[in-house]
Amino acid sequence: MVKKISVILSIVLLASMLLTACGPTETQAPVAPEVQTVVIGGTPQVVYVTVPPPDVPEPVAEAKILRQNLGYSDVPTLDPSLSTDTSSIQIVEEITVGLVRLNELTMAVEPGMAQSWDISADGLVYTMKLAEGIPWVRWNGTEVVPVQDCEGNTRNVTAHDFVYGIQRTCKAETASDYAYVLAFALAGCGDVNNGVITDVNTIGAVALDEYTLQLTFLTPAAYNLNIAGMWVSRAQPSWIIEGDDCTEARGDRWSEPGFNQSFGPYALKEWIHDSSLTIVKNPFWPGMATVPVPQIEEIVFTFLADSAAMAEYEAGNLDTVGVPLADMDRVKSDPVLSAEFYQGFNGCTYYYGINTSKPPMDNVHLRRAFSLAVDRQALIDNVTKGGQLPAQWFCRPGMTACPTPENNPDVGIKSDPVKAQEELALALADMGLTSADQIPEIVLMYNTSEGHKAIAEAIQQMWVDTLGIKVSVVNQEWAVFLDTIRGVDTPHIYRLGWCLDYPDANNWLREVFAVNGSANPDNDGDGIPDGGVSWKNDTYEQLVVDAAVEMDPAKRLEMYIQAENILVWEDCAMIPLYWYTRNTLTKPYVVRTYSLTGHEVYEKWDLTK
Amino acid sequence: MAEKEAVALPVRRKSGSLWGDAVYRLARNRAAILGGVLILLLILTAIFARFIAPYTYEAQDLKNNSAVAKWELSIFPMMEPYAKVSDKFPLGADALGRDLLSRIIYGAQISLAVAFIGPIVALLVGTVYGLVSGFFGKTVDNVMMRFVDLMYAIPTMLLIILMMAFFRGSLNLSEPGTFAYAMNEIDKRFGGMLFIFIGIGLTAWMGTARLARGQVLSLREQEFVLAARAVGSSNGRIIFRHILPNILGPLVITVTLAIPGYISTEAFLSFIGLGVNPPTPSWGSMISEGSTTIRTYPHQALLPAMALSLTMFAFNFLGDGLRDALDPRLRGT
Amino acid sequence: MIRFILQRILWTAVVLLILSLITFGLMHAVPGGPFSREKALPQQTIDILNQKYHLDDPLWKQYLNYLYDVLIPRINDKPATSLIDSYLINIKLWDKTYFRWMNFGPSYHSRSRTVNDIIREQLPVSFQLGVLAIVMALIIGMPLGVIAALKQNTVWDYLGMSMAIFGVSVPVIAMGPILVWIFGVALKWLPPSGWGAKPPYLLFFIPRDLSWAFWKHAIMPVVALGLVNSAIIARLTRASLLQVIREDYIRTARAKGLTERVVVSRHALRNALIPVVTVLGPMFAAIVTGTFVAETIFGIPGLGRYFISSITNRDYPVIMGTTLLYGMLLLLANLVVDISYAWLDPRIRYD
Repeated sequence: MVKKISVILSIVLLASMLLTACGPTETQAPVAPEVQTVVIGGTPQVVYVTVPPPDVPEPVAEAKILRQNLGYSDVPTLDPSLSTDTSSIQIVEEITVGLVRLNELTMAVEPGMAQSWDISADGLVYTMKLAEGIPWVRWNGTEVVPVQDCEGNTRNVTAHDFVYGIQRTCKAETASDYAYVLAFALAGCGDVNNGVITDVNTIGAVALDEYTLQLTFLTPAAYNLNIAGMWVSRAQPSWIIEGDDCTEARGDRWSEPGFNQSFGPYALKEWIHDSSLTIVKNPFWPGMATVPVPQIEEIVFTFLADSAAMAEYEAGNLDTVGVPLADMDRVKSDPVLSAEFYQGFNGCTYYYGINTSKPPMDNVHLRRAFSLAVDRQALIDNVTKGGQLPAQWFCRPGMTACPTPENNPDVGIKSDPVKAQEELALALADMGLTSADQIPEIVLMYNTSEGHKAIAEAIQQMWVDTLGIKVSVVNQEWAVFLDTIRGVDTPHIYRLGWCLDYPDANNWLREVFAVNGSANPDNDGDGIPDGGVSWKNDTYEQLVVDAAVEMDPAKRLEMYIQAENILVWEDCAMIPLYWYTRNTLTKPYVVRTYSLTGHEVYEKWDLTK
Repeated sequence: MAEKEAVALPVRRKSGSLWGDAVYRLARNRAAILGGVLILLLILTAIFARFIAPYTYEAQDLKNNSAVAKWELSIFPMMEPYAKVSDKFPLGADALGRDLLSRIIYGAQISLAVAFIGPIVALLVGTVYGLVSGFFGKTVDNVMMRFVDLMYAIPTMLLIILMMAFFRGSLNLSEPGTFAYAMNEIDKRFGGMLFIFIGIGLTAWMGTARLARGQVLSLREQEFVLAARAVGSSNGRIIFRHILPNILGPLVITVTLAIPGYISTEAFLSFIGLGVNPPTPSWGSMISEGSTTIRTYPHQALLPAMALSLTMFAFNFLGDGLRDALDPRLRGT
Repeated sequence: MIRFILQRILWTAVVLLILSLITFGLMHAVPGGPFSREKALPQQTIDILNQKYHLDDPLWKQYLNYLYDVLIPRINDKPATSLIDSYLINIKLWDKTYFRWMNFGPSYHSRSRTVNDIIREQLPVSFQLGVLAIVMALIIGMPLGVIAALKQNTVWDYLGMSMAIFGVSVPVIAMGPILVWIFGVALKWLPPSGWGAKPPYLLFFIPRDLSWAFWKHAIMPVVALGLVNSAIIARLTRASLLQVIREDYIRTARAKGLTERVVVSRHALRNALIPVVTVLGPMFAAIVTGTFVAETIFGIPGLGRYFISSITNRDYPVIMGTTLLYGMLLLLANLVVDISYAWLDPRIRYD
């Protein structure tokens, strides 16, 4: 009797799911994606653009509101000195404008608040002319109003504000996470950050007059401008941070809703932590060629997990969304969704680092065998399903001075099971062993997450099938994992990814894998790495140092190609797995660009509904 | 859930012991028997998994990832545009192309272990703790309950991450003599489930302790306790022969109802790395993996959820039957 | 009874102190710190950060400083701009001098907020969710259990109990997405995510707007969270009531000629509720921790998911503050449960 009831209940449940499953399907012919070639950082990059079917735009009645999802966690802070998260940076880039901007489609440097600049002969001093008459604004509860000083005059953005912002970032008390980037490039910032010198006026950022800013750098590097444009060198309103005669000092709270002051195309209207963040068009933004006046009046950001965001998109409450892996198959075959689908560039690489100091992985043939045995395409087709590109080397194609598969097809490493077995044989011979099961235990570690787990399990199986070696797969919680992979306990193989800070190969090959790079730390400062990949190759070190200051792009590319070959083949210190793509769905009424830099440029978007 | 008897109750041969009566009443409860049989089948499946399962639980067939069986397609036709139909898998495959049926069969092992350990720990430790605390009252009760309060208040997440960081996190597992090494060896003995047992054990006993104590508090003033005292029974005898059978009813119910909670705890632990290591399957982790794909491949979460549901029904029928059988005042209606 | 309550409150304070010590110890024993990033920060930056937040002090000193900040009030005239000196109670005495008390610290992750801000803005949401879930569990579970017990072995009994078992066996993590799918995406009756209330709140946790805009966001998460517990309450009520109904005093009451309704409500229910009330304490605890899952699935800005992410981020002040807060709530809940025992069953004595 009861069993009958439970059967009935199950059928009821299944039936209700059936009903929802067989929804009406619109018959709209999927639009084939168009192929465009775009020049990024000097190298042509193939980009797929899905052109949305032409829609008859209806007359716009009310305010255009765009609804976006920023990702699962709340924005930690909107203070430019303290921002580290991509979500923080996204908002900061909308409510303020940097000295220079990276074009989101070509990643070329273009004027921002600095309309023009002169570079001194030695390449160290940049004198920049700022745009004039751009006011500071704030939300007063009902509308965006300009900020006024104690005499009632509107405050405009001046070179002094930029100087103040840079000084604040470099100051030790601010404890800015990214100050080290400025310290690395800008004169004087490093010493102030250390606390060695306390006078902030020694930093190489000086206001020659109201609208002229002079920056002094340490080396004549190609990426100096990039760093000048980063959010850490942004203008900040000193009167509300420190206070003045008519303004109460807000200190570290100044960027919170209610106090926030900004000057960019948008302004902060409302921020309910962990729930939503709303920015509204700044009517006082005059617009410039590179940063136009926005068409969209209001943007509402939510903080939802991927699957919740996907549900909201399908319910019609979000205008774009990143496609979660779990829904990929369904999206690609659904007539409506596949027309809204876009797959394009994403500036990150997924890789496995190898601790080259830990036996048996200290044998280069064994390392190569592991790298060759991974069937990257199968991984992409069956596990990650995001149209990623199999990675042949580390730096993501599209970065300045980074090779591309079209132009440099033979650089780096490719999956090859036959070669893998040959390398394995060499390794066994080196170690004096006769068969693969005599190899001591090897550990593969990843940080706890469903996605990484699936990839690790698939690769574990590939190594069993091709090499006959079964590694132990272990996972650790994120913070513990980060600690482990930076110390002497670094496991044999571990998972990591790297995304661009600025689009230059220097950010990849030097800042990650050179000695004391992010994945190759030198904890005791003796010049020999003792954590991460624990790898030092003098040729590589010299190459990346020279390439950083090399001016000839062709020569520079050659040097980085040589470095990549050392990294992934000759010494095989890491296993590049795939280059990221981004998979998004966008409603047909959104007219948008797909940014390559990692954050979107909403002032160039429009809604036709 | 025993059926109404049409005739007068059959005469019992002896006015037997409480437990003899209990077994007798249990045997007449059809639903409980059904539950018991299901559980027995489950146990057999778990023991003989290797022979029953069509494939191993780890063999991946990447090309057939998330494959679907034909009958599943007829229930969820929305999968038609994208699903790979395959005859190889009777229940379909998971995201890495592993057979779902085999994984569910092997998963029974983990889930059953969890389903038994939790209640055993909870009943043993919790009941005794609550009995002692409630019976002796005053300071003993105060101190014991405050300790429970403290245990409640400590966030288990923190405890769990700490355990994980110390034991699984350390790679000095190969150095004999260290504590981590010893724990890891014990863990291997238990098939990777030591931390699950610890985690569940830590959380399971407290609720039962409070419940038992509450019951005891109200029972100890009753007449039959006074009577037993008057007769000269020792405290121990009063506790175990008189009070315990009376409180077992709600206790057993609570404990059996908490079983899905234990399985969730196990899923959570497996997910953060303290449970079974991949690729070992457990229903809990299969459900949480499948919950993300629920709109694309519903069968990946629904099938283990149904297995879980069925097991729950079985445990509940059995639990009900046990309660009915063990309650001395409950004459069969 | 008054003495009992006072005694318990004193115990609560002691337990909280022990809890703070244990949490502090556990927090620092776990490897990884607040400044572990995927792109490693240079050692120098980490040193600066440690210095700013006094993380380079010996542990005992950090703990004592924490207690000092939280427990000891003070009077000073420091400007309130630094988040490290941000107090819950800030009473202006005279020109620039303030009476200050209870500084739970800044957040290491959300650099522009303090623990006070976080708790003030997000605890009410978790509270609303939790209270609604328990209320739903009681409203659905108790009547279901009572009916099932009174009509034992009939269709109502089987139906009710089967639904209860079913509710218990589907975990929130599966129930949530299913509900979102059916009611949010396919039928579009309810919003798939979000919460309908925002600060400031009345009386600390009551939303100002209680119209459909609030309820439409609340229905699915409350159902997902409360379903498991309503099943537990239903079964517990049923079992307990079945037991109580067989008691002699019930038979007496019936023999006296009272209507069944009075018998049940006035005599049987009160005693049957004892196990239910007992279980409310741990249930409250379970819901409070369970809100994390619901908050993730439904995108609710509550304290639960913030707490979990603060553990991952090693955001020490937030961990301490939230743990103490949860601990206090749990202890209070248990105290209320114990007091209601005495009310429900006059034979229970605490002296």
